[in-house]
Amino acid sequence: MIRLRDVTWHHGAMPEDGQATLRNISFTVPQGGFRWLLGPSGAGKSTLLRLLHLEALPRSGEMDLLGTDIGPRVKRSALARLRQRIGLVPQDYRLMPTLSVADNVALPLRLQRRMEAEVAQEVDAILDWLGLSSRRNARPVTLSGGEQQRTAIARAVVVRPGLLLADEPTNALEDSQAERVIRMMRELADLGTTIIVATHNDTLVRRFPAPALHLRQGRLTVDE
Amino acid sequence: MNKGRRIRDGLALARALPDRSLVTMVAAMSLLASLTFTGAVGARSLSDRWAKGAANLVTVQVPDPDKATSAAGRGASAATRVQAVLANLEAAPAVMRAHRLDGAELDRLLRPWIGDVGTAALPLPAVIEVDLAPGQTLPDPLISTLKTEAPGTLIEKNDDWRAQLHAIADSLLWCAGLATLLVGVIGAAVIGMATRLGLGARRESVTILHELGASDGYVAGRFGRRVAGLSLVGGLVGTLVSLPPIAVLARLMAPLAGGGSAEMGNMHGWWGFFTESLSSLMQGSAPQALLIGLGCIPLVVTLIGWVTAQVIVRVWLRRLP
Repeated sequence: MIRLRDVTWHHGAMPEDGQATLRNISFTVPQGGFRWLLGPSGAGKSTLLRLLHLEALPRSGEMDLLGTDIGPRVKRSALARLRQRIGLVPQDYRLMPTLSVADNVALPLRLQRRMEAEVAQEVDAILDWLGLSSRRNARPVTLSGGEQQRTAIARAVVVRPGLLLADEPTNALEDSQAERVIRMMRELADLGTTIIVATHNDTLVRRFPAPALHLRQGRLTVDE
Repeated sequence: MNKGRRIRDGLALARALPDRSLVTMVAAMSLLASLTFTGAVGARSLSDRWAKGAANLVTVQVPDPDKATSAAGRGASAATRVQAVLANLEAAPAVMRAHRLDGAELDRLLRPWIGDVGTAALPLPAVIEVDLAPGQTLPDPLISTLKTEAPGTLIEKNDDWRAQLHAIADSLLWCAGLATLLVGVIGAAVIGMATRLGLGARRESVTILHELGASDGYVAGRFGRRVAGLSLVGGLVGTLVSLPPIAVLARLMAPLAGGGSAEMGNMHGWWGFFTESLSSLMQGSAPQALLIGLGCIPLVVTLIGWVTAQVIVRVWLRRLP
């Protein structure tokens, strides 16, 4: 479960106009919940996802992620452990340029010190499912946009995270692949993963109805 | 779980922290540290040796040596002043040997000042060299007795020399200590800069690892192990390179420190002298403190490298939440 209450975030000092990037954000998503995160460009969707991925910490308000209170006194080691339970599909993919597709996908498992046999099994399964088996030894720089996006998705879900955050995870995919990815995410949610997907793709939102979080100029409204 | 296994994490530190430049710089620092340390140990052992010699040697001058003695005492049976002084010195438990310089020895001693004229015609005092037992001094009652039986007797105890030698040795040690500390600080700064360059080259990869949940300890450990490994190699190379000059220096200092000869006569020139010095050092002819210290330099350099890399990386990671 994730819970935010009156969370505010802004770059550096508070802007002079008092307009923080995220203002008084409050919402709750239960364990296994699936939410669309909608809003125009610049509304703060990516910033909210970065906040939920602990790449930034709230300036004020309360945030509870997967049972951990993200207060000012939270320990760095606790944040690191928590990040291992959160999968992120970033808009820019953020793949390790020096690693192959398979090693990129295996990285979160290896950071958790899983046995290599288990790592190989999990990686093979997810690469096969996302149609990347033939590209398993390729470097990210040789991949198409769609392949890079699928690799980022595979890396985010391979650990079966407690929370999955996806920032425009289908914008480089064909419609059929995009639907397949969202269907997989819905299945993950059914298995207990809490999921928030930021998108501009109205067709996809209509095709897979779910509660939505609407962000506009840093303010959030919840559409149940 | 598989805790000890090294994982493919994409940091590629072999390329981000190239071995050649860092190893060369650390080797140069280790060479400097080795030579400085050797200088300090050499100065210390020489001053100890000289101070010990000075402390154990007392010179006694007896004016008018052949005149009759003036007081009764242990040497009362002696006919002359010098015989009385010698008898008293030889009877003292603190004295190992008391030797009166003969005419030839006095001539040799004074030749730099009076040339080959000889001392026979000069009214010189008798000079007695006294070797004291280790750690012993001339007792005050004995000195009083000597001055009573042969008034005007002069006793040079060399204490001032010993104090000055100790002061010089201590100063040298402080200088060497400061120089070694400076070398260590510069070494740490060089390692720190190399680590920062490596971090700069892998900024993106480190950030991704951080976002995937790698702990600060994991990332700092990866950099620390790489830098420590390179520092160990550099430390070993620098220390090994320092051994030949140290061996030659130790060989040259050996006679001054009471060891063997430094002559090259039967060693087939400089090369023979050099190889002989090196093998002598390897066989442990050098002071034990020197050998232990030199052995510790690569380990200390490794520790400095590991700690510096850990601190630099952990401080850098603090920028990230």
